[in-house]
Parts: sequence; structure tokens; C-alpha cells
Amino acid sequence: MAESRQLEAQLRETAEKLLREKNVSLFVGYEKASLPFRTTPLLLTKTEEAPRLVWNPFCNANLSVYLPRLFLAPADARAAKAAPAPPRVGVVLKGCDSRAVAVLLQEKQVRRENLVLVGIHCPGIVDRRKAEKALGEHQALGAGEDGGGNIRVVVEDGTESTLRREDVLADACLECRSPAPALHDILLGAPGEAARTGTARPGTARTRTAEFESRPLEARWAGFQEVIARCIRCNACRQACPLCYCKTCIFEQNRPRWIGPGTDPSDLALYHLIRAFHLAGRCTECGACERACPMGIDVRLLARKLSAEVEDLYGYRPGESVEATPVLSSFALDDPQDFVTEP
Amino acid sequence: MTEKLLSLANLDPWLARLRERGSVYAPGTDQAGEVALREWPQPEPLVLDYKNFREPPKAFFLPRNQTLLYFRDGKTVELNSAVPETFLFGIRPCDARALALLDRVFLDGDQNDPYYARLREKTTVIALACAQAMPSCFCASVGSGPGDGSGADLLAVALESGLLFRAGSGKGEGLLAEAADLLAEATPAAKREAAERIQGVTAQLTPVPTADSALRLRGSYDSPLWGTAGQKCLGCGTCSFLCPTCHCFDITDEPDRRVRTWDCCAYPQFTLHASGHNPRPTPKERWRQRLMHKFRYAVENFGVPFCAGCGRCIRNCPVSMDLRTVLKELGA
Repeated sequence: MAESRQLEAQLRETAEKLLREKNVSLFVGYEKASLPFRTTPLLLTKTEEAPRLVWNPFCNANLSVYLPRLFLAPADARAAKAAPAPPRVGVVLKGCDSRAVAVLLQEKQVRRENLVLVGIHCPGIVDRRKAEKALGEHQALGAGEDGGGNIRVVVEDGTESTLRREDVLADACLECRSPAPALHDILLGAPGEAARTGTARPGTARTRTAEFESRPLEARWAGFQEVIARCIRCNACRQACPLCYCKTCIFEQNRPRWIGPGTDPSDLALYHLIRAFHLAGRCTECGACERACPMGIDVRLLARKLSAEVEDLYGYRPGESVEATPVLSSFALDDPQDFVTEP
Repeated sequence: MTEKLLSLANLDPWLARLRERGSVYAPGTDQAGEVALREWPQPEPLVLDYKNFREPPKAFFLPRNQTLLYFRDGKTVELNSAVPETFLFGIRPCDARALALLDRVFLDGDQNDPYYARLREKTTVIALACAQAMPSCFCASVGSGPGDGSGADLLAVALESGLLFRAGSGKGEGLLAEAADLLAEATPAAKREAAERIQGVTAQLTPVPTADSALRLRGSYDSPLWGTAGQKCLGCGTCSFLCPTCHCFDITDEPDRRVRTWDCCAYPQFTLHASGHNPRPTPKERWRQRLMHKFRYAVENFGVPFCAGCGRCIRNCPVSMDLRTVLKELGA
């Protein structure tokens, strides 16, 4: 978008002001990365560093992932006594990221009074893998955005080419239904950018799930096995997820060890099933897990289905409101009970 | 060091001959549309001009899930040691070099790892020199290069009309002798073309100041840069799992067997003691360990950095951290 530059300037001003006026002691945003199609998180404490902040279609990470650990009290009582007060943190949030913060607030993992939420109307971000694939054997030396929101790339021989926005946007962004931050203290940008470029296809998630569901049982099982067979159990999906904040994850408990650390087929299936279930009714569909996966696995296969179930059965979309009762914390006498079977 | 020429027309017949002796893996396009080492033959043609595979070939030597022994009737039973003959054709020089580094850990001296040794011995590595460098490549800065044949039994350089083979081991010499009828003498023109191609790729690489890393890192144990890096690192382990030289493992007992799996120093549990004490309690210490191990401790212990410069950690980091940047900052 042409507005990216303008938003970037506003963002830098905002961060600079928050730090200067001591409203925050830490500001979390993005800066330029060493490779094209990427940015890297920037944790700022000095006003003079604010010009390093960027805003562009490569602002991929869900920065709310950094928040729970900033408010983690040391386990040791003596260390806890000596620990400094929790910081006041400013953080840049896209629509999906802001919903993750809402869930973190509902689950009491972060302190609202210590957060300054800088929401940005998100036009969607680029999946670097799609962009790299689109270039074939060429490789990008630099990438940026043109006036129409498409991605301009300079390749190794110095020639320029353009990648169409809809061809390289992340799946989660193509499926996105709420690019506007639900929760914010400061809001930058204007709504409807994605709609204007005609890239939003909010029904896609359900279409993909319906396609998978239309297959016979054996084909679905085979499809699931095929998806997870590439998994190397590196934990990238879990670590990139802001809502996977357990101090000791079930996969790491070893007294007893519930599941093996390797790639035995049953361990792989358990890993992905447990993760999907732990995110049911909580996942805000940011797609950070999918973009973090080094193996290009469709790690949201089960999450997409569970999100649709939660919405259809309970009319609940995680992170839309902090005040709403999380679906797994509520009970109503008329809740659907069809799934309850005789023992 | 024998050098021979194989015409492109003779490539498939040569691979077919290897196929008679064992499994052959060669570069092909996988279901996800990416070039990977795939069991040969495939219906799709071989690919020779790929950049590099998504994964390094280390799983051929250090399987992700390796049964070491079985428990039967209260006794332990050693695994049947029959390992099939395997040929890996087309791995890039950085990944082959990584094998030479892994050999230092698993084969040298009295720390011979029989499981690794068995797979290494039965596997023939035929590396293929790079046709193109990526912006994340820095092999030449860690003592390797796009034409490095260390760690490979044979190094192939793709030329206009065929492949120039250079033997790197007795096994490689043997392969060339056996295939004499398919091979031609390497002409001076072919050797020149190969050298030019390798030089061309080397010229594309951006140097990284790592040569004196051990010395430099010795003084930077308490640098605030570790804290900055640790603050950003998600602790996911992708860098390590996709690293061709990272080799740390875990051993767990299942009800019927003992299994070795990959492990990673980015994980909190990696150094967690039974007492509950953790000498590397935060991502800061863990990040420092990974870099120090590669660029200081390895240099001190083995004389070479434990990095092949493949750049996978840089390309795949979910938050785009770049160890080259940190190395540069530490040296500043």
C-alpha cells in the first residue's frame, strides 16, 4: 500500500513519543531483516532507536508472543522478591495479534495496565515461502511494495519483477475476516485496505475444511498422516504461537513422559492433535504457526475445523472481546450435547 | 585425485548401476513442489540446478528416531546391524562438509559412535557443486566453498555437457574405476570450465568475519548482545534441527526399546538438572551456547567452526534472526 510509508512514519513517531514520555519502558515492533520478504522483531528501549521501526507487508511475526514472558514471575521466591517491577510495554498489533492479546488478557497472562496496544489496520502480510516459490530459480536481493499493494522484487541479475499481492499473501491473511485490531489504545491506518485490493476471501477457511471433510474416513486419515509425516518436531509452531505459554508444556513433562520426543508416527499424531485441542476456542487464526513451520506443513488443518465448530456451536470467536466468557469456561443448559455418547 | 567426465546421457545409466547395489537418493521435486533428496528413480526428471534442499541430509546418518536396542524378556537385545548400502547423489558441498565435521564428533578418537559409523560407512556421498549462491549462503567464510569436496566421496561439477567428477576418498576412486566404461578422461577445457563455474558462485558470496571467531568470542561471554538475542529468540529449535552440523541428541526408553532422538540447546529442558537447577535458565544463555559452540568451542577443540555456512538457520528462523549479524556485532 502507498500508505505503508505514512503508517511507518506514524508508528515511529508513536513509539518515540511513548518512550520519551515514559509511558512505556519497552516498545515491541518490527525492523528490517537481513533477507528479503522478512522483518525481524525489534525490542526498543531508547527513543533514538525508533527510526529503525518498519511497517510493511513483511511484518510477519505475531508480536504478542513476547508478552507473557515479560510478565512471568520468577519461580524462585527469593528471586521473585528481588525481581524488578514488570515493564510497561508498547506493542504493534495487527488484527489477529490484537485478538491474541485479548485472549492473553482473558487468561490473565498479561497485565492490561502495563500494556499500550498500538493497533494497525492490517492489509495482510506476505508469506515468504509463497514469494520465494513464485520467483522459481530466481532469488530476491530486495523486495518492497508498489503503489497498488503488489510486491516489487529485485532479483540476482538486477532485473525487477512484480509479484501479485493475492499470489503471495499468507493463507491466514487471505482467510482473514477481521483485519482491524479488536483491542487497541492507539490505532493507526484506515480500515478496508484488504477489501480495496480484492484479496480478502474470508470463506476460504471453511471451503478448505469442507473439501477435506468431503473425503472418506480413510482418505482423511491418510491426508492427516501425509501432512504430519514431514514434521521434524522442532516446536516452531508451538513457540511462534502467543497462546502456547505453558511454563512446562505437556510435551516436555518427563515424570512421566506423556509423549516421546521423536518422530514416531504415534508421537507425531499426538503432538498435532494435542496442540489443536489446546488451541480450540482460543486460536485467533493469525497463522504464525504455519508461517513458522520450516517444513511447510499445513499445521492449521485441524485448527481451522475446530474454529468453525466453536463458532457454529457456540457463536464464539476468540479474542473479539476481552469481556466475553471464553467458550471453554462457560456452561449453558442449552449447550449442544449431541457429542456426549453412552459409555 | 582422479578426475573423470560423465556425459549427461550417461547419468541415468550410471545411477541405475548404483541402484543395483543399494538405494539411490537424488534431487527431485517432492509433493510440496520443493527440490529434495528423493529415492531414485522417480517419474519426474532429476533436477541439477536447485539452490539447496530444505533439509540437510543429516537424517541419513543421525535418524530422527533411532532405535538403539530392544528390551526382550528382561534382557537388552542389540539392534540387527544390517544396514543397506545407500548412495546420496547431489547433496551440496556445504552439507557434505558438515558430514566431515560430524565425523570429528562421532568417528574420531575413542568416541566412535557405532550407530553413526555404520550408516556413514554404508553410505556413499556424491556432492554436486553449487550453480548459484543464495543471499543467506556464507560457506566460504567458514572454510568451505561452493566447490568443497571434503566430506564427500565424489564431488561432481555440472558443466554444459556433463558432470566432472573428482574423487575425494578411496570409495570415490572405486566408484570411478567401476564406471570406467561410462566415463571419459577429464579434458583441460572441462577442468577449466569447472573451476570457472565454482569461482563464479564464490564471487556471489558475501564474506562474514568469522575466521578469528574463537579469539573474538572468548572476550564476549558477558556481552549485552546475548541478552538482546535471547530476548528475540523464540526458543523453537528450528535453527538447530535444520542445521547440518547440529548433532545433540536425547535418549529415552520406551516400554520395549531405547530410542535416540534429536535434541537442541535452545530448549530449557536440555540442561535441566534432576535437582531442578538449570545452568542455562533463560534464552540468553541458550542462544549464547549455540553460537559459542559453533564458533568458539568447536574452533578450540577441532580447529574449525562447526558451521558449514548453508544459511538454513537464517532462511528459516520464524523471527528472522541472523547469526551473521550477531557475529559482526560481537566483533565490532
